[in-house]
Amino acid sequence: MNDLLHLLRLFRPYLGWLLLGILLSFITLLANVALMAFSGWFISAMAIAGAAGASMNYFTPAALIRAAAIVRTAGRYAERLVTHEATFRLLAELRVWFYRRLEPLAPAGLEAYRSGDLLSRIRADIDTLDNVYLRLLVPAAVALLAILVFTGVLWRVHPRLALVEGILLLVAGVAVPWLVNRLGHRAGRRKVEVSAHMRAALVSDMQGMGELLVYGAAESHADRLQTLSRELAQQQRTLSHLNGLSQGALGLCANLAMWALVVLAVPMVSSHLLAPQHLAMLALFALASFEAVTPLPLAIQTLGESLAAARRIFSLADSLPAVTEPAEPLAMPERFAYRFQNVSFHYHPDSPEVLHDISLQLAPGRKLAVVGATGCGKSTLASLLLRFREPTGGNILLNERPLQLYSGETLREHIAALTQQTHLFNTTIRDNLLLARPDADRLAMEQACETVLIHDFIVSQPDGYDTVTGETGVRLSGGQARRVAIARALLKNAPLLILDEPTEGVDPETARQLMVNILARMEARRQGLLLITHQLQGLERMDEILVMAEGRVVESGCHQELMDARGHYWRLYMTK
Amino acid sequence: MPDKADTPIPSALQGWKVHAGLWLRLAIAIGLASGGLLILQAWLLARTVDAVVFKQAVLQQVMPWLWGLLALFLVRAALAWASEQAAFQAAVQVKLALRELLYRHVQKLGPAWLSGERSGDIVNTLSDGVEALEAYYARYLPAMSLMALVPLAILVFVFSHDWLAGVVMVVTAPLIPLFMILIGKGAEQRNQRQWRQLAWMSAHFLDVIQGLTTLRLFNASRREAQVIARISDDYRRGTMSVLRIAFLSSFVLEFFSTVSIAMVAVLIGFRLYWGEMDFMHGLFVLLLAPEFYLPLRNMGTQYHARMEAIGASERIVEILDTPVAEASGKVTSVAELRQTDIRFEAVSFRYPDGRQAVQDIDLVIRPGETLALVGASGAGKTTLINLLMGFLQPQGGRIRVGDTPLQDIVPEVWRRQLAWLPQRPQLFPGTITDNIRLGMPRAGREAIHQAAALAQAGDFIEALPQGWNTRVGEAGQGLSGGQMQRLVLARAFLRDAPLVILDEPTANLDLDSETRVHAAFHSLAAGRTVILIAHRLRTVREANRIVVLDNGRMVQTGTHAELLQSSPLYRRMVSAYGGAP
Repeated sequence: MNDLLHLLRLFRPYLGWLLLGILLSFITLLANVALMAFSGWFISAMAIAGAAGASMNYFTPAALIRAAAIVRTAGRYAERLVTHEATFRLLAELRVWFYRRLEPLAPAGLEAYRSGDLLSRIRADIDTLDNVYLRLLVPAAVALLAILVFTGVLWRVHPRLALVEGILLLVAGVAVPWLVNRLGHRAGRRKVEVSAHMRAALVSDMQGMGELLVYGAAESHADRLQTLSRELAQQQRTLSHLNGLSQGALGLCANLAMWALVVLAVPMVSSHLLAPQHLAMLALFALASFEAVTPLPLAIQTLGESLAAARRIFSLADSLPAVTEPAEPLAMPERFAYRFQNVSFHYHPDSPEVLHDISLQLAPGRKLAVVGATGCGKSTLASLLLRFREPTGGNILLNERPLQLYSGETLREHIAALTQQTHLFNTTIRDNLLLARPDADRLAMEQACETVLIHDFIVSQPDGYDTVTGETGVRLSGGQARRVAIARALLKNAPLLILDEPTEGVDPETARQLMVNILARMEARRQGLLLITHQLQGLERMDEILVMAEGRVVESGCHQELMDARGHYWRLYMTK
Repeated sequence: MPDKADTPIPSALQGWKVHAGLWLRLAIAIGLASGGLLILQAWLLARTVDAVVFKQAVLQQVMPWLWGLLALFLVRAALAWASEQAAFQAAVQVKLALRELLYRHVQKLGPAWLSGERSGDIVNTLSDGVEALEAYYARYLPAMSLMALVPLAILVFVFSHDWLAGVVMVVTAPLIPLFMILIGKGAEQRNQRQWRQLAWMSAHFLDVIQGLTTLRLFNASRREAQVIARISDDYRRGTMSVLRIAFLSSFVLEFFSTVSIAMVAVLIGFRLYWGEMDFMHGLFVLLLAPEFYLPLRNMGTQYHARMEAIGASERIVEILDTPVAEASGKVTSVAELRQTDIRFEAVSFRYPDGRQAVQDIDLVIRPGETLALVGASGAGKTTLINLLMGFLQPQGGRIRVGDTPLQDIVPEVWRRQLAWLPQRPQLFPGTITDNIRLGMPRAGREAIHQAAALAQAGDFIEALPQGWNTRVGEAGQGLSGGQMQRLVLARAFLRDAPLVILDEPTANLDLDSETRVHAAFHSLAAGRTVILIAHRLRTVREANRIVVLDNGRMVQTGTHAELLQSSPLYRRMVSAYGGAP
């Protein structure tokens, strides 16, 4: 219920649109019911008058019938325009709202959502919420109004008619769909589970097709897919079964209402309590009135889905960022000397420490390398330096003032970073590069790309720097994408550059040349470098190397010192 | 609206109808029966009201009619339910058949083809894409048939009771599809463009969320909020301009059907007034009028289902139409590889887009040797092993196993001789045991445990809380890189194939894992022929023979020491690996 209120609050700026949509929708519905009921009355009255040879004013009712037809048609058109316009306005609002809530959470708060599946889930949830207005709010409000008005009208004829009509409307529109929804709950959940299993099986089958074929498991996996497919169909069958019941019940209730009204009204006609021309009118009225509850089964289904989607979205949007910004941030200094003082870090109070008692110095213009196996905690160092996370012990200082006193945004203005998850956006290479510095000129852009040896490749593409990358564009190989991302970081020209596994996916020959170029560029510009890597090649030119294992610094020194020490570094070096 | 016969997609959709069997016809037949009962129902109701209003009948007299009506309601409700079930069954059969067809076709296309595709896209096509066809078979097709049949049946009855109302219906009904076609022609294209734009907008949003950290790194995340607002707003404007036209077509539809009903009512009213017809017939026709237009009015909704199915089947048709490159050999026996050479004779392969992958490869693989392939990315190493595993067919030259050309051997038979360790090994949803005995479901527990022990994997598996029954999933959650390597090594040990093909992983392992994987690999190589794509200097050095590839050509072969002497390219590569010779 809370989630529903929360959701409605988001819609508040669009209250006007909501009311207008409901009003138009309601008028359209009334026009249709009026059309049918009037027609029934009209032909009865005309037939009675004709049989009796009496005269009657047929202009007004005939005009009313035509008017109802026109209001119905025009109303439907206006209603559709208004409700869709409102839906799209809401959609924009929801997306921007959600984005603004999500933005401060990245990356720490979104770590659990990193996998593509969960992100798609978020997208699907937002898409579900887009439908709340059109599928839930408007039909529910219209149905409520209609039930009140219809029973009110019948009440004036006879309370018993109103009672029958009201009960059947509620049964068809609320009770049956609600029941069906409850009965289908398990099958619905199971369907989602089986779909997810099927997807997971398909993903691993597609990625491991070579192994399946070589190991002769192709046939058995085809069978397994078919089994899952059948299982999915089984759940869908249950749901379709229930859906059929719900649809059948709706039609049956409409017919029953008509039937009951006729059965109740016939004695009233016989005893002259009801004018005979009202009998056909009542029958047609009852049939047409069920249009009000037709969209309710879908609305009730939407309600459950929307609430679940809203719950997930809100729990994410309402979570607290991992880092709090200072109320009055310090201005940025001229010099950038960073120092880690006994820094420790763990993700949860009860999980083991990822970093333990790390002390290091990063003087301006110095080149520091951190090496170690995957999972030794070296990437967390960068995350702390960028203020995406706070250390849980010790201090990080910038010019001897704690990092917490600076705003994250100001800090990041002076650091260019390539993280392991650096993302290339679904746009041109140029736009991807310009993200780092929107005012960069062509020369600067090309220089950065030449440094990382990707310029030639880019200009060899038909669209050059306007080549679109990513899902919908040209797919770059892992190494190419990596190099574009490095070029982007270089283009920023910040006093400190962080490179986390820059040569991942780049072939060794290119990687070596790449590191030579990058170091030359950094030295020429007197920029500092924090290189995080597991590749031990080309570290001879670093000022200092820290060797990390299991969250601790186990060795430090320059390449030659570490080789002479014949310790951890030397052993790692020799196994490659 | 008629299908455009010249477009392949709608005809493919029509073609897949065969999988539905008789269910589709059954659904239509039930719908038709229900339509017939509807007419009877209108007649009974008209009869009842007429009796009460004009013949002063009391409730008891009309009660038989009313009981009949009640029975009809129940039967029609049951029919509605049955027709839904039949239509569902039709759609399910198409979906099941098509998914199986697609999956098997993708298997035949093989990993070489898959590597050029986005696997997410193929997965989507196989899951959601196939599901999206449901509405077409379960709703659109039955509705289309009923749209033609039910109004026709109603018309017959209307004409026999009131020719004037019949004329009104006959004149207005064809106008509805006509106007819809006139308006809908351009709208369909615009509509499709709009669908694509919606998909694009949704993809953009996902793209932005995925790249949120990167945006923050460059302090660009606030700017992006405005971009999202702008894109959504542009989308609203674009879509509304299309929808205004789309709604216009339903406006026309609604206009004709509603105004026609009003006209029928007014006309009947006057003819009753003038005494030209009796009330029962008038009411009967009036009751039928909305039912006559109902299927036509539903056409708009159904048409949407068709559009969606066309969108989804585009990709399905594309995949099914991709020709399969797999060899169709007949030979079912292979020479004992432990004693037989495998020869590449002037083998060339060119990608469909014209790029030359490998050219004139002459290579003899001797039994028992460890052969390393080295070269920059794109040099042709992967193509060579794909050719060897039969995932690609050479366009020039041939590969021979002993005296038999590889393409003459049944692929399954040939692959039984291989064990394959890719660079990024895949674990499949299931237990650890399932993953080790991949393709050998009847392998005994002892054999599995022994294979795991040889792969140095037994210890860590037994240390897991669930041991051998630990479930592993996508990307081997919960297992470290080194553990995954050892698991797939166990798979290879169990397989006990004479030829091992290995694409060495580049991922870095901790020292302990590294040592264990290395040792396990050594014992796997013993007594077997090994072909490996090497990424580490140490592995290269240990190979019996090294093949240096450059731009699809074999530049040189030899041992490490020989190549250091004779090949400048090899020397450059070695120094890039960072190794002193």
